[in-house]
Amino acid sequence: MRAPLIVKVGTFAFAVMGVYAYYANSIPQIQSTLPEELSLEGGNVTPEQLVKAGEGIFKGKGTCEVCHRIGQKGTRAPDLAGIGATATKRKPGMSAKAYLIESLLDPGAYLVEGYPNIMPKMDRPPIWLNRSELWATVAFLQSMTGMVDVKLEDIPKTAGAVVAELKLPGDPKAGQAVFMGKGACIACHKAGALGASPIGPDLSQIAKIQTPEYIMAKILNPAEMGTVAGYPPNLMPPTLGQTLTAKEYTDLVSFLLTLKGEAGAEAPAASK
Amino acid sequence: MRNFQTRATLLLAGVLLVVAGAAWAQEAPGGQTEAYRSFPLIGSRLAVWGAAQLHLYFAAFILGVPMFAIIVEFIGWRTQDARYDWLARQFMKLTFAAYSATALLGGLLTFILITLYPRFFGYLVGIFGPTMWVYAGLFFVETFTLYLYYYGWDWLSGPRKGIHLGLGVLLNIWGTILMFVANAWLTFMMSPSGVDEAGKLTSLWGAIYNPTWMPINVHRLIANITFGGAIAAAYAAFRFLGARTDEERAQYDWMGYVGNFVAVSSLLFLPFAGYWLGREIYAFNQTMGITMMGGFMSWLWVVQAILIGVLFIGSNYYLWLGMERIPGSERYRPYIPYLIMILAAGFIVWATPRSMVATLEEARAMGGAHHPVLGVLGVMSAKNTAVNLMILTTFVSFLLYRRANRVAIVSWVRSGMAAQWIIMGLAAAIVTFYGVYGYFVESIVRIGFSVYQVLSVLAAIVLVMAIDIPMFRRARSTGSIRWGQIAPRSQYVLILLAVSFTWLMGLMGFARSGIRQHWHVYGILRDTSPEAVTPALGYAANMITAVAAIFLAFVVLIFWLGGLGERGAKG
Repeated sequence: MRAPLIVKVGTFAFAVMGVYAYYANSIPQIQSTLPEELSLEGGNVTPEQLVKAGEGIFKGKGTCEVCHRIGQKGTRAPDLAGIGATATKRKPGMSAKAYLIESLLDPGAYLVEGYPNIMPKMDRPPIWLNRSELWATVAFLQSMTGMVDVKLEDIPKTAGAVVAELKLPGDPKAGQAVFMGKGACIACHKAGALGASPIGPDLSQIAKIQTPEYIMAKILNPAEMGTVAGYPPNLMPPTLGQTLTAKEYTDLVSFLLTLKGEAGAEAPAASK
Repeated sequence: MRNFQTRATLLLAGVLLVVAGAAWAQEAPGGQTEAYRSFPLIGSRLAVWGAAQLHLYFAAFILGVPMFAIIVEFIGWRTQDARYDWLARQFMKLTFAAYSATALLGGLLTFILITLYPRFFGYLVGIFGPTMWVYAGLFFVETFTLYLYYYGWDWLSGPRKGIHLGLGVLLNIWGTILMFVANAWLTFMMSPSGVDEAGKLTSLWGAIYNPTWMPINVHRLIANITFGGAIAAAYAAFRFLGARTDEERAQYDWMGYVGNFVAVSSLLFLPFAGYWLGREIYAFNQTMGITMMGGFMSWLWVVQAILIGVLFIGSNYYLWLGMERIPGSERYRPYIPYLIMILAAGFIVWATPRSMVATLEEARAMGGAHHPVLGVLGVMSAKNTAVNLMILTTFVSFLLYRRANRVAIVSWVRSGMAAQWIIMGLAAAIVTFYGVYGYFVESIVRIGFSVYQVLSVLAAIVLVMAIDIPMFRRARSTGSIRWGQIAPRSQYVLILLAVSFTWLMGLMGFARSGIRQHWHVYGILRDTSPEAVTPALGYAANMITAVAAIFLAFVVLIFWLGGLGERGAKG
């Protein structure tokens, strides 16, 4: 008995697809797993544990190995063998850990000769390492013929922060008026084109380098939030938060959050 | 059949009209949007995967076929050859039958997204809401144009044929715009733009015209024609194999040839469009590009190489078998072994992986993860060279087929032939030169070489055809093509090509979607569902096979249903 045509054609089609599926199943199987969050903040971690965790990030979530090799010249990115020691020589006046941190957060700031500017910022999506992971990665890189001296505090607090728009009820334009008027912040701080006083830190990029939580807490309780290195302590009025109304406070925070050190950051002033 | 179409269309329209409302109706009492819901038995991911892949198969088919059907109809009109009109109608009959399945599956996909991924879909609606209304409106317009075009075939014949052709053009325009709109949504997921870092919309046009939108538009436009041609050719092959009369066999042999010709002609341009897409992905995000080509997806390209090899060798084999039914083609047979050799060599190069999976001992023996000799064939320089030479070889096969029963009689035939050989030799030399030179330059320079390779092949095709057409215009015939007298195995080759195109399309869909990894919208909206893992190739291949099998079964069923009307009319 001859098989009907539909059976013959169907069998043939299934056989073809079966061969493709079989072949795809017979080659290396790699799946992309959901990266886990590593948190070392507040915990006691030995340098060995830190380096080990960093190695895991390097080979896993960080996807560093896709371009970087250790002990082998890569075509896309430099060989990282001995990076702990070479990092000290890359940028004059910059420590190894500072250089490595910069390389992870702003890879385009310094390029090794002969390599293109293709590395993504490691604390931003899609790789999106958090502070603990950046800390561990730097420790791992330092461990390669270098001294592991990186601390969690060395990693900027904004690194790896969740990208989300903070919706404050405040009005940045009104906040700028508070900055220049009632709050008298301009007496000590510079903010973009506003002010020039060197008494307190320049706030022109404050939204970029600090978290909203820090800014809010600093206004309410300046002494408790510490003093930026190089500036005299306890100069900022401790009662600033109390002298402002709730609206003035949120307006001021909203204004400070517009200060990203970019052109147009002083938009409220420009539109006045 | 007509009631079924209407119901399907209305169903999809209903779905589209409730999309916006449904997406926002997901708010739980506490104001929190539920992010995910689970689908019984197979899970949400497989549910959305299956519906999307099936919908895209049908959508590609119904968008691709009218593009060449209108050309075939136009040829019939200009030449007054009724066979072409019959063929165009046959093609459109297939489209018409598959149209409702596309609409139903589109509705199903939308329902699945709304119910299983409410937060993600709500976000997409928030970005693309206005374009969804445009899509719904265009869908209505396209449906009515299709009805008018299909049912008005006899009514708009004779002196009114121009109007009918105009409707066909309009149908293609609506379909293309529809695809472009839907492409904006999916390419935004890959390469979002027009939004700020937090994902908030800053420019709708920016979101639409994102970095991969136009490359995907072009790639899909070409791929749809290829896919439509291949499926139509497989349909013809099936009808050929089941034909009871010589006349029927001749008709479907010709239909299969035209379908395959369309598929292969457009296939030649697909690698170039794919290259542009790949380059844009790299330009948008290096991490994504490297994940695609050198990361966890790198092995996928070895599987793709196998399929491309099958497609090229299969297409050529079909042409060579077809030459057997052409008197006078014997003089070209000696060339075929050389063509086979080039194709086989190209196939081997393309299928050679860069990194080998080896035991520690084997790796030590090789001196690394790359084979000491064959490893050099695994890089893009070699692969680009191989594919460009395979394209040239396929073009040569087509040229031989084209002139199989014709002898040029123009006075300049010798110089014409010589010019053609020189042009093709020059193109092959340029391709090989840049392929070899690519090993000695930095990767950033090497990437640019692909453009020279592609352009030289395209230029060769255009120039050779520009000589060939006038050279064979009044050629002496060595006999007519004996349509229907082709080996039955040639029809299985057409089916093989259609199945391979279908499977390859599923694989490329997995690649496009999988490179986002655990992101719904790359770098903006993270997939936090329990199924956020991007599966390995084997798992994906099994799923692709299952969905492709369902699609092909659906196609057979729909074509059978379409054929019932024909049988009824005959009876």
